[in-house]
Amino acid sequence: MTELQGVIAGAMLALALGIYTFWPENAFANQREKTRLDYLLERKEQLYENLRDLNFEHRAGKYPEEDFLTQRALLEDETAQLLAEIEHLQQA
Amino acid sequence: MAAFGSFVLLIALALAAYNLFAGAVALRLIATGQPARISPERLADTARRAGIAGFVAVTGAAFALVWLVFANDFSIAYIAEHSNRALPAAYKFAALWSGQEGSLLLWAWLLGAYGFVLRLLHKTDVKLYAYAGTILAGVQVFFLTLVNFVAPPFSLLRGAIPDDGNGLNPLLQYPEMVIHPPMLYLGYVGFTVPFAFALGALMMRYPGEKWIKITRSWTLVTWLFLTMGIFLGMHWAYAVLGWGGYWGWDPVENASFMPWLTGTAFLHSVMMQERKGMMKSWNVWLIFSTFALSILGTLLTRGGLVSSVHAFAQSSIGNWFVAFLVIVLAVCIFTYVLQRSHLQSEQRLESLVSRESSFLFNNLVLLAACFVILWGTLFPILSEYVQGTKVTVGAPFYNRVAVPIGLFLLFLTGVGPLLPWRSTSLRAVRRNFVIPSIALWGTLIVCLVAGVKPWHDGSFDAGNFYALVAFGLSAGVFTAILSEYLRGANVIRKQTRRNLFSAMYLLIRRNTRRYGGYLIHIGVVIVVVGLAGSAFNRNSESELTLNSTMSVGPYTLKCVGFTQDSNLNYNSEYALLDVYRGGKKQFQMTPEKRVYLASQQPQTMVAIHSVPGWDLYVVYEGTNPDTGNPIIKAFLNPLVSWIWAGVIFIVLGTFVALTPNLAPATVALRVAAAQPSTAEAAVRGGD
Repeated sequence: MTELQGVIAGAMLALALGIYTFWPENAFANQREKTRLDYLLERKEQLYENLRDLNFEHRAGKYPEEDFLTQRALLEDETAQLLAEIEHLQQA
Repeated sequence: MAAFGSFVLLIALALAAYNLFAGAVALRLIATGQPARISPERLADTARRAGIAGFVAVTGAAFALVWLVFANDFSIAYIAEHSNRALPAAYKFAALWSGQEGSLLLWAWLLGAYGFVLRLLHKTDVKLYAYAGTILAGVQVFFLTLVNFVAPPFSLLRGAIPDDGNGLNPLLQYPEMVIHPPMLYLGYVGFTVPFAFALGALMMRYPGEKWIKITRSWTLVTWLFLTMGIFLGMHWAYAVLGWGGYWGWDPVENASFMPWLTGTAFLHSVMMQERKGMMKSWNVWLIFSTFALSILGTLLTRGGLVSSVHAFAQSSIGNWFVAFLVIVLAVCIFTYVLQRSHLQSEQRLESLVSRESSFLFNNLVLLAACFVILWGTLFPILSEYVQGTKVTVGAPFYNRVAVPIGLFLLFLTGVGPLLPWRSTSLRAVRRNFVIPSIALWGTLIVCLVAGVKPWHDGSFDAGNFYALVAFGLSAGVFTAILSEYLRGANVIRKQTRRNLFSAMYLLIRRNTRRYGGYLIHIGVVIVVVGLAGSAFNRNSESELTLNSTMSVGPYTLKCVGFTQDSNLNYNSEYALLDVYRGGKKQFQMTPEKRVYLASQQPQTMVAIHSVPGWDLYVVYEGTNPDTGNPIIKAFLNPLVSWIWAGVIFIVLGTFVALTPNLAPATVALRVAAAQPSTAEAAVRGGD
């Protein structure tokens, strides 16, 4: 490939890439702003996962009964507050 | 083809610059809600496409360089310097990263490839990906500026065009060198992606921790590449450099190890952020540091800042990297100061006896190790700057500090899984630790009885002591992890009435991240056992005449001949050694020394016979100039193969951790969200 051929090939590639980049496209992806509710719903999933983990570790013998009950109460309390806020936001 | 390569590199730079500029403007317009003539979303999409197009352009340049190497076009200075006609095809590919210009092009291409995948996946979270893509473009602009104006790979050779090139550095003419540097670079470059996501999430004050879930696979894959790159490098050093070891605390080895340490710390502590919203600032700085250390690694490898057997391409390009590092740190600090209120922890550490605290200790220890290595690596540069004399920091310094740190880290590897999240009582801790403690002390006693004693001829032997502790801890950690698998499998077995193996499989599939992580920990334990074996290395050196013998460990090596050979690429001479054990011939070894014709550089090819207990490692050191007889050095290196076996577990574990979980066996999502009491019902179904 001569130097001229190389430049021509490069220019053709540049043209193709320019067309791809600036081609008028109306169907580009868009996304609404993430709300507090979205965040709380994500957090709810995480709290449920934490509770499942706690239950599983208890069954696997890692927590004595009293530790388990304390931890579960704490997590459930946190989850209850979160669910209440979710409900409040969903009704608003 | 050179004109094509140069041209498309310029196009790639223009596209990256557009990606950066248009992306930044679009994100600013979206953030402020200012009216604009063009829709900011449309502008952001053109920026994204410019990133994709940029990857195509860099691919064109990389293709052009490889094409020219295969075409033996020695009018290109880079190719005349790093290739020759007789170079085997696989090593012609290696020429792409054997020199400064090519390796910077490889950096840009890999970054383009990561960015290409990222931009294709943008619908996962359009805004976050737009931020990450724009930050990637900023990094890409830096590397493309270098390959366009500072270290161009397509520069023409001044003067007469030679018939043949200088050839590839002989140290690089080894099969692993075809994959080790790309792996390492995939690791270095890959950390740009979680860095970009973290910085982007901070810039946009991303609500929640979902960005961590989005980047988890990226971080794990990158970590895996870096891990494999480091171990392939160790194996290459072991098999090629001929000194009997695999890790010499060389500055370039250290450069790859430091981002690995901070990246490993990030992988652990980010779980606390995901689960409990803790340690947000810490995690952000861990990933910022990991990226900065990756750039520092590239600077050390390519910038000529330190002397190293691994620094294959040195020049004054270091100033550019230093400037880039300063800019990166300035952007990180500025963003952090501006947005730090977004990084408030949602919860506090409840107890020192918890999984969280073990992660915290693990992080502190990993960072301490990183700081020690950074200090040792940069000390020669600092001492030269301050005092005018370069003070070398050798392996004894690192071993004295890093070995105890490493053992403490191993201890934490075993302790972590035994501690539950949040907090627990000491009684529960004691109960969980009984079996691992028995394994630890039992192993120590067995080792002492077997003769692994921390004293030698009445004096303390630090090597043996550390090996003894490593064996004991390894047994304890292995037992702790195994007990975790068995405990979990037993719960599943009782729930589903499956057999133990089937329950184990289901256990792993239900929580691939945790149990894949444990598999990685088992790999680390196996690697540590292999490393501990080095305390018992033996070697012997001898000048061998025909039919004379030498001994090392249980082996006797008998010289049955020495001969020479040659091909288009190199001349070689080697010894034929019959290896006997217990009076019986076992196998033959042929340690070799080559002289590469193009570069006239010598290279050792070590002969290695590996069994699980040890490696017999034989080096042909050359001939005695007075007698013409070969000089052979033989090493007996215990447990080396365990290191490579451990890596297999680490790779397997990472693949498991990357596999999506099976859905939990619950009806959690069907429960009405407004009733707090139903949360319990939602999770009672199992894990």
